[in-house]
Amino acid sequence: MADEHQSDAPHHTTVPVIDPGLTFASVTDKISSIVLKRKTPLAWFIGFAISFILFQLMMLAITNLVFVGIGLWGVNVPVAWGIDILNFVWWIGIGHAGTLISAILLLLRQQWRTSINRFAEAMTLFAVAQAGMYPIFHLGRPWLAYWLFPYPNTMGVWPQFRSPLMWDVFAVSTYATVSAMFWFVGLIPDFATLRDRAQSKPFQIIYGWFAMGWRGSARHWHRYEMAYLLLAGLATPLVLSVHTIVSFDFAAGIIPGWHATIFPPYFVAGAIYAGFAMVLFLTIPLRKFYGLEGFITMRHVHNMAKVMLATGLIVGYGYVVEAFFGWYSGNKYERYMIWNRMHGPYAVYYWALILCNIITPQFLWIKKVRSNLLLLWLISIVVSIGMWLERFVIVVTSLHRDFLPSSWGMYQPTQWDWAMFVGTLGFFFSLLFLFIRFLPMISIFEMRTILPEAEVEE
Amino acid sequence: MIDTAYTAPQEVARLQRAALIVGIVGLLALGAGAFFEPLQFWRSYLVGYLLWAGIAIGALALLMLQHLTGGGWGLVIRRVLEAATRTLPLMLVLFIPILLGAHSIYSWTNAEVIAAHPALQEKVRYLNLTFFSVRAVIVFAIWLLLAFFLNRWSRQQDLTGDRALAKKMRVLSGPGMVLFVFTVTVAAIDWVMSLDPEWSSTIFGLLFVAAWSLSALAFSIALTAWLTKREPMAHVVAALHFHDLGKLLLALVMLWAYFSYSQFLIIWSGNLPEEIRWYLPRTHGTWGVIALVVVILHFALPFLFLLSRRFKRDPHKLVLVAVLILIMRYVDLLWVVAPNFPGTGFHLSWMDLVAPIGFGGVWLAAFSRQLRSRPLMPLNDPQLPSVLEQAHEHHESEDFIEEASA
Repeated sequence: MADEHQSDAPHHTTVPVIDPGLTFASVTDKISSIVLKRKTPLAWFIGFAISFILFQLMMLAITNLVFVGIGLWGVNVPVAWGIDILNFVWWIGIGHAGTLISAILLLLRQQWRTSINRFAEAMTLFAVAQAGMYPIFHLGRPWLAYWLFPYPNTMGVWPQFRSPLMWDVFAVSTYATVSAMFWFVGLIPDFATLRDRAQSKPFQIIYGWFAMGWRGSARHWHRYEMAYLLLAGLATPLVLSVHTIVSFDFAAGIIPGWHATIFPPYFVAGAIYAGFAMVLFLTIPLRKFYGLEGFITMRHVHNMAKVMLATGLIVGYGYVVEAFFGWYSGNKYERYMIWNRMHGPYAVYYWALILCNIITPQFLWIKKVRSNLLLLWLISIVVSIGMWLERFVIVVTSLHRDFLPSSWGMYQPTQWDWAMFVGTLGFFFSLLFLFIRFLPMISIFEMRTILPEAEVEE
Repeated sequence: MIDTAYTAPQEVARLQRAALIVGIVGLLALGAGAFFEPLQFWRSYLVGYLLWAGIAIGALALLMLQHLTGGGWGLVIRRVLEAATRTLPLMLVLFIPILLGAHSIYSWTNAEVIAAHPALQEKVRYLNLTFFSVRAVIVFAIWLLLAFFLNRWSRQQDLTGDRALAKKMRVLSGPGMVLFVFTVTVAAIDWVMSLDPEWSSTIFGLLFVAAWSLSALAFSIALTAWLTKREPMAHVVAALHFHDLGKLLLALVMLWAYFSYSQFLIIWSGNLPEEIRWYLPRTHGTWGVIALVVVILHFALPFLFLLSRRFKRDPHKLVLVAVLILIMRYVDLLWVVAPNFPGTGFHLSWMDLVAPIGFGGVWLAAFSRQLRSRPLMPLNDPQLPSVLEQAHEHHESEDFIEEASA
């Protein structure tokens, strides 16, 4: 839609995409030295240790869960989907920013994506890994999860293809596969750089193995560019389809609060919103800690804040429309659902959600706020919490009081619910710490293409 | 030599005259129809009105979008969009008959109908003629104000070249977009959804945001392709602009289809009596065939063509898809609106043909008049030099390729 020359020039003439002083050599040095040369900072060990301990909590929670059964969690009739499903939606939503940045912004020729795509893709992959665990363990007998796939068997078991839950199996597994391939293919030229620069034999062998014999010939690059664009094309519909299908999990049912036609775009916008909040939450400290301000400039931060504002407004529109139509439908169950959200036993979650997701991001209209890293970082935390609350409101308050008052009930997550959630946070951050330590967190070869040196006179 | 004043070609004046004659004849014929078949008259009036009002309203969204994103594609259609938004006062005038005829169009204005339907009694506080009129006034006031300022500042930019004006327009467009989405939602609920007052769908507002933006873009592409055959625009608009416009058209076609299909799938899957009743008459009999035609010609065919790069870069081909989409916008509106009118089952009238032509003629005449009143390009936009340079380089390289291949 927008050509880079046209769209970027008028608005941001003062703020360049990256530090103008960088050259081919300094880009490669700066990024690869984090992995190869610099001493691993103490803070890295501390951060990794904390994450790893929490990760062990997850292992404990899962072990216990598999031995005892999901009675360990707070889920029961009527609230049979608790914070496990909400965590699934939350994690998978976070992943969407990565795919949007890497695929859609690539196709739209937005150069500013280059500094953050590698990192955002890693975040996507790790978040999807967390998300995928929840529905599998929610099955109760996770060792039978393969029954979800349509395969010929003697039991006469065949999936119900009219159920969005079934579509989810394919949507999420496709998403995980394509994201992993996209990430790995993007890494190949950088693996080769690391192979060539590594000093020790084991690292040379490991990086060399992953580099798959990359020599950087013109033919390699030609094929590579083609493959990368094709993967971007494949990943683009996934940004929309995955969360659309997640929204169908709810909307295809007839529970008031779930059955709403606005859910698909509203969920997709919410996913991108949460994802950008997470990218900001991670990049703001990282760029400072590793001195990457020249690569991830204020320009990136501004753009991410703007995407957050825009998607936050769509989510806000969703709340307004839901509340209005709850009333307009004239249906007493719909009306009660909205009343119950605002005044029922979980009202505090609803109002906290309004505060976090609608009111807080309005500060992003102000340029001064978008330029203040600390404020922006705090807003990104608030939004992440807000998006978690949003899923709580959708999943729990819709289920706990549906039609007959005699079948109403309350839901309380148990310590094991929380252990699992905190544990997946630990797993996520463990993976991120390993990624930062062993792989280039910014794409070296793509950064080189946007340097002034890379411009070719025809 | 390039005409630096960018005055509209003579053909626009000719279009204005011809359109005015067609429009007046069409609307007079439609008006005559009111005496024979009043109910059919209102149905045709509403659909014809919504088609052309949708272009004017959607143009406002695209205008704000191009202020927010920048880019050559926005600059080359900006004057077309601005002229379209300046027809909004005319659309306000043409809305007055709908207010006057509301009793014949909207069943919720009828006290007996409300008394017979308990569900409707629940929402009389929203669905009553006074509040309906107040909302229409507010919605139009917001659109007119946005259009007024964006047009005024753009004009000032032509005259003074003040660089602060580009920023002013951009700053207004952000909150303007938010207002736009909410006002279109209100308009979609009031003017269209309330035709079946017991039915509701939460995505309906967004569906109209996408549909009206799509109408406006299809119209802008068709008109720009027509203008590009002539000076001065022949030297300004290049294949790369049509390429970008084609991509945006593809995106909006997909967005519209995504919203429409989501609404259908969720309602079909829930199969609740109060919801599925909207789709049942629309998916059976002749309306069902039309639904299929909409799926194929409003989505599948444009989608396939717009995937091709060569297709998007050729204005002669792109214009075909744009016109097809405009025609299908009308068919889709008819499919959405008409089954709500009594006289169940499928029927078409000569008025269904005369109404869009009549409204189209009057609207095009007003549009052409507005388009002629200003230069066809924003003279002092900060982006203009780079866009012209690009177009110039582009034309040269195209000539070069043509010479080489010849």
